[in-house]
Amino acid sequence: MASVPTHPVARFLARRLAYSAVVLVGVLIVVFALVHLVPGDPVRIALGTRYTPEAYEALRSASGLDRPLVEQFFGYIGSALTGNLGVSFRNGDPVTTILLDRLPATASLAVVGILLALLIALPAGIWAALHEGKISDAIVRITSQFGVSVPDFWMGILLIALFATTLGWLPTSGYRPLFVDPGGWLRHVILPALTVAMVAAAIMTRYIRAAVLEVAATGYVRTARSKGLPPRVVTFRHTVRNALVPILTITGIQLATILSGVIVVEVVFAWPGLGRLVFNSVESRDYPVIQGAVLLIAVLFLLINLLVDMLYAVVDPRIRLS
Amino acid sequence: MRQPAAIVAAVLSLLLVSCSSPEPVDLGAGGSGNLVAAIAGEPDQLDPQKTTAYFSFEVLENVFDTLVAPDENLEMRPALAESWETSPDGLTWTFRLRDGVTWHDGSPFTADDVVYSYRRIMDEKLANVDKFSAVTDVSAPDPSTVVISVKQPTPNLLTNLGGFKGMAIVQRENVESGEIATRPVGTGPFSFESQKSGDSINLKANPDYWGGAPKIDGVTFRFISQPSTALSALQAGEVDWTDSVPTQRVDQLASDDSVNLSQIPSNDYWYLALNEAREPWSDPRVRQAIAYGIDRDAIVQSTSYGTAVGNQLAIPEGNPWYTPYDTYSYDIEKAKSLLAQAGASPRTLDMLVTSEYPETVTAAQVIADNLKPLGITVNIRTVDFATWLDEQNKGNFDMLMMGWLGNIDPDDFYYAQHHTDGSSNAQKFSNPDVDRLLDTGRIEIDRDKRKADYAEAATIIADQVSYIYLYNPSVIQAWSTGLSGYDARRDRAIRFKDAVLADSGE
Repeated sequence: MASVPTHPVARFLARRLAYSAVVLVGVLIVVFALVHLVPGDPVRIALGTRYTPEAYEALRSASGLDRPLVEQFFGYIGSALTGNLGVSFRNGDPVTTILLDRLPATASLAVVGILLALLIALPAGIWAALHEGKISDAIVRITSQFGVSVPDFWMGILLIALFATTLGWLPTSGYRPLFVDPGGWLRHVILPALTVAMVAAAIMTRYIRAAVLEVAATGYVRTARSKGLPPRVVTFRHTVRNALVPILTITGIQLATILSGVIVVEVVFAWPGLGRLVFNSVESRDYPVIQGAVLLIAVLFLLINLLVDMLYAVVDPRIRLS
Repeated sequence: MRQPAAIVAAVLSLLLVSCSSPEPVDLGAGGSGNLVAAIAGEPDQLDPQKTTAYFSFEVLENVFDTLVAPDENLEMRPALAESWETSPDGLTWTFRLRDGVTWHDGSPFTADDVVYSYRRIMDEKLANVDKFSAVTDVSAPDPSTVVISVKQPTPNLLTNLGGFKGMAIVQRENVESGEIATRPVGTGPFSFESQKSGDSINLKANPDYWGGAPKIDGVTFRFISQPSTALSALQAGEVDWTDSVPTQRVDQLASDDSVNLSQIPSNDYWYLALNEAREPWSDPRVRQAIAYGIDRDAIVQSTSYGTAVGNQLAIPEGNPWYTPYDTYSYDIEKAKSLLAQAGASPRTLDMLVTSEYPETVTAAQVIADNLKPLGITVNIRTVDFATWLDEQNKGNFDMLMMGWLGNIDPDDFYYAQHHTDGSSNAQKFSNPDVDRLLDTGRIEIDRDKRKADYAEAATIIADQVSYIYLYNPSVIQAWSTGLSGYDARRDRAIRFKDAVLADSGE
């Protein structure tokens, strides 16, 4: 055991890291158990119509499923921690390579999606809170209710019909890597990101409105106002700044949700991301890929949580110092 | 708050810039003269002898060749073999190979490649090994001759060798290096260029193709699994061809002049089978009662929006092996009287279907409704496909629904399914006349006699209700008006070798 960190922020982060490590071990156990918990023999199921006794034995031993359970478990944990997640049942490619191939597409979608969502939700949420009970607040609330209710695949199909088929401004589907073709990347990412952002923004708007309202009801905001500070200063320095922690929380959750694979949106837009990979792997019972993808998604969740925790400490001195 | 505002402004201006560019959407990788085809899924692997996925065959049809290949009427024509002859006793087939054929890597194609490819299927017992059930030996007496020996006259040998790209001739080096699954080397009109996981595969025209160089630069296969997206992409001019067409929009597309729509009945068929090892389904009259009790038109309508073609036998009209047959009609009274004659009054029927093939679930709901007036409660059991296969093989069902895909020769349509010793006879049908006819048909060289044998067998199979045949689904494809030199085929082979693209300047 190294010496316990003394700085409060360091201690805070160390606690968070340790917590993440515990969760990661739990995830590894669940991911490993996945193959053993599904009803039926995974190898038999994976082979489907291609089943022959020879193919069965070959795949079973190649995937290590013929070894004792305990040996399999430590084998899996050991290689997973060194980045070796096995090979795909479908074509024998390393799972790590497959996942890394798909990550940039999903990351693009998530980052642009969350930026667009913030772009919509921040002004809308703050506006609605400052005009609580007025007609503009009602409009924002009804619109966000609408955004939460509309299924994302439907939204995607409508956006394609309008912006791609009818107006011809943007491509209907597909993906270009950012560093190979930046212009193509942007044109292709807009519609799927907008679809993702609509749903996320609808949820975030309601949280932001509630958070700002809560802060606005506190005594110091009233004090600031009664001191005669300009409304802009009261709004941004006193109200919104103090509402940042819940805003960060909901943004982190939404980002993680998008990263963990917006399966339907990726399918609609033929987007080569993690969500579509999971969808196809489940269809073809490619267990090593499903396991790897679940693990990667869990790690991304943990990383985002950690990042959000660190940002708490940045925006709120009370967390940093307590 | 300044910085976020600046980021917001930057993002906004980027969006505006990209939205306002009116030039046609860039199609990205591949030559600009590439034909862009949208297929509904990603190939699992690119080894034609090992894959079972249709998505793989859509691509590989253009990369690999077989010894012989079916024309549009599914008659076998020369491909890598230029000519062939059969010995008088019908037991030796000698194939003369085409001269000057090269692999995509430039190395020459020889008879050894054919022997290697066929031996691989036989020795490794790959999925297509049953196509060689009559074959005793494959040899190459010289670099341009292949000799195949069979244990009995085999009229369908050519269909077995050429009817299916799973029998493609592969290159030994490509197989042994393990690259064939991801970087296949063939002799076909297009060579494999690149694959982007989850996105697309690029093929490049093979200028040295033995059948003449393709007129397009290459083919880009994009994986678009959402049919409405694929159709939008076609209408927006981003793709030139797709078979990912929403069936409910077929009617509307048929009257749309801006796209070509093709809808032809395929050789695939869907059927019901009753478990004859169980009472009361062992009695042919009870099975006939079910055949009269179902509304075939309603099933066609609900499973395919009316795009499929109802058929009381397996082989569709227009096929050289077609036999007309229309004994059954939707007739509840007739069904009731057949049940009464048999003295049977089944109360329940356990129907095995799988969500992997949604048409089976949809049809089961129609059938459950159809059979109510007969006093039969249909218990629809929906399982995953692996379980479905297990239950079928164990005989754990009263009735099941399934389809057979990609058959050409009548032996493929009937032997495994209806011969007493057939490997796919899960319904346990057994009829000595059918057995005799199917055994004769296997070795009958005279084509007219052979056709008569199969017509008789098929009629008995339907009369005695080994299968209740339902319909032939249609091959539905749509392509842009700028694409010519292409037509949909009833065997679903996607061949772009003669495709021509009009100037895409519009």
